[in-house]
This record gives sequence, structure tokens and C-alpha cells, in this order.
Amino acid sequence: MATTTATITINSTDLLSDELALTATSVLTKAATSTGVEQTTGLARKTTAVVGSTALIDSVVLYRADDYTADKANKVYIKNTSSVAAQYFTVYLTGDRGGETHTPSNALTELGRLYANDWAFFPWNATAGTKEAFTATFANTWAAGDTFTFDGVTVVAGGSGLDENAAAVDATHFPNWTTSVASAVVTFTSRTSRADLEIDSTEAVVVTAGDGTAAIATTVEGLKSASDIYIKPSVETGMTYETMLIHE
Amino acid sequence: MATTTAAVTLTSDLLSDEMSVSATTTCMKAGTTADGLDMMEYGYIDIVTGDQFDLLGSDDSTGSLGKPVAGIMANKANKVYIKNHSTDETYYVSIMLDAQAIGKLYGGDWMFIPWNATDDDKDIEITASGGTNKICYALFHEGKTLVAS
Repeated sequence: MATTTATITINSTDLLSDELALTATSVLTKAATSTGVEQTTGLARKTTAVVGSTALIDSVVLYRADDYTADKANKVYIKNTSSVAAQYFTVYLTGDRGGETHTPSNALTELGRLYANDWAFFPWNATAGTKEAFTATFANTWAAGDTFTFDGVTVVAGGSGLDENAAAVDATHFPNWTTSVASAVVTFTSRTSRADLEIDSTEAVVVTAGDGTAAIATTVEGLKSASDIYIKPSVETGMTYETMLIHE
Repeated sequence: MATTTAAVTLTSDLLSDEMSVSATTTCMKAGTTADGLDMMEYGYIDIVTGDQFDLLGSDDSTGSLGKPVAGIMANKANKVYIKNHSTDETYYVSIMLDAQAIGKLYGGDWMFIPWNATDDDKDIEITASGGTNKICYALFHEGKTLVAS
């Protein structure tokens, strides 16, 4: 079993009238067990590159909840490596203020600001949203050479069999979707939780010599994750952060 | 000025090479290099199961378990430390900010985050599970506007 420890030391000789010396060490274990966590992204370092004025700086996604198991003992480390006092990263969660009108200032839930050399270490429950799903139902007359194009990928029919062509689509890797198949029905599921997807025949295009179709029907409406982690630099001139996720 | 340093060390053998990450920051007021955070709130309390409580209130909420942190200044370099002192590994506290879940601190876990109390909704909330959890917390901040009683 892996042993991962996290130690914090907070010291001050002059903040209080008595010396402050606080130390805490935690052995990072899986949720509700004494078994150590076993996975990590490793330490990453990146310099943000922003084009435009400070007012238009966009946030950067650090971790998407979809990629990790929810409600576990995940831990996130983030450090602002800048030495310029005024430069800070703002740390956000997606948040989900259902029913509220978002304004530019509260569209995400702000944790706080990491100024020069500041770091943060916190638990993360990685609650995913809902992944959009739709079906493509192959019907009517298909022939070898007919095509099904979606997500930048074109699948060429190998014959006239509906199940056969559906299976060929299922066997294809799509950049942003996973698939499963049952007879002549292929189910596409988005790789990420988003509320802004709605697929129809203008995105999933069929070209057939005959009257072959692949009718599209949404089966699951997607919803954003409430706990993706974002950071936003305070200046556009390039700021560097380091981060690591230790997870289950 | 006060000089308060916060250091973290992360070590592990879970990779094929040894992992050792360290970082130290001197807790400064926002945007400065010469003026350290000079105010602090500190507490050690039991969190009982069943309800969600404001551990640190960004307003003068009377529901705060800890000392109400009335009028904590927004857009500053405030820092919050929380440790779960429970020894039962199945006990945990769920930490939320502005009703949004951050994560769970299991027995022995700690966290250290910046906190921007931009409005009255930015409370740091806590819910205990498993049993009564013992929590230690500290807030380092730049000042607050006291609310008249």
C-alpha cells in the first residue's frame, strides 16, 4: 500500500503574544478506510497564456469532476509560483446556484485568491454532472459506401446490414463521445458533463445512396458538473502555477 | 508587521520515483510583500451530526458555531485552516462554501485554502457524519468591520 503524507506547519513568533507553532500531519487514505490513496496526477506546472485585456481573462480548468470518482478522499494542491506581490490566481469551483440568475461575478463559486507564493491544499468531492446521451437508430436501406459522420469522424458502411453498420459505428473511437450498441441502435454518451449539447441530424450526418437513415433522439439531457476546479490569473502577461491531485 | 509562514510537505511512495513536494508562503496582505497578515481567529470545537453549521460566517450570522467573523474584508488574502481531529477513520466533515460542496475531511485530514468573503453568502459551512467530529480551525485575515450589537 502506498503511503502519502501531507504535513502543514504554520509558524509565527509575532502574530500573537505567544508563539504560534502549529503542525499537522495527515496520512492520506481512501475514504473511510486506513488504506492509502494510490493514484495521483503527479505534480504539474503550467504558465497561463492569455490574449486580451485583463478584464477579459478567462479561467483555466484544472480538474474536471467527470474524470474522477465522486465523494472520495481526493486532495488538491495548487501553488502560485509568481513572486510578484500583486499577481494572484483566483480559485473557483463550478458551483450550482440552481434557480439564481448568474452575473459575471458569481457565475462560478469563488474560493479565494492565491497571491505570490501562496498555496492551497484541500479535499475535493468531484461531484460530476450528467452526461448528454442520444441514440442513432439505423433504418431503411443502407449500402456499402454509405457514410455516417459525427464529431469529425466519418464511418463508411461495409455492407447493407443495419446491425452491421451500427456495430461499425460503435467500434469507432469518437473524440468527445463514447458509444454502445444494441442491434441497430447506437447510443452516444458525452465524455463530459455539459448542459449546452443538443445533437440532431445537422451534427450526425448520414449520406446514403438509398433511403438509409440514422434517426437521432436525445435520451439524456446533460447537466454541468458543480465541482470542476478552475483558476484565473490576475494578469494576462503569463503566470505560472503548480498543481497536483491525489485521488482514489 | 507580523510574520506568519505556512509550509506544506507532500511525500509519497505511490509513484515509481519518490515524490516530495514542498511549498512555503509567508502570509502577506493582498498585493504586498512587506505587510503580513496580522489578525487571527482560532477555535477547537465539536461538530455534532444532523445539521449543517456555519463554521466561519462571512456576515454577522448568529448561526456560526465558531466566533462569527463579522464583516471579513473581501478581495483580500485571507487563509483558512481546518483540521478534523477525529480518530475514527469513518468519521468525516463535509466542507462547503456558499452552499457548494468542496470536499470531505476524514479523521486526521486537514485543509488550507484562501477565502474570499465577497458577500454575505460566502460562509464556510460544515456538516459532520459518522458521529461528533472534533474540529480545529484558524482564520488568518486582514481585518474586519465589526457589527454593532
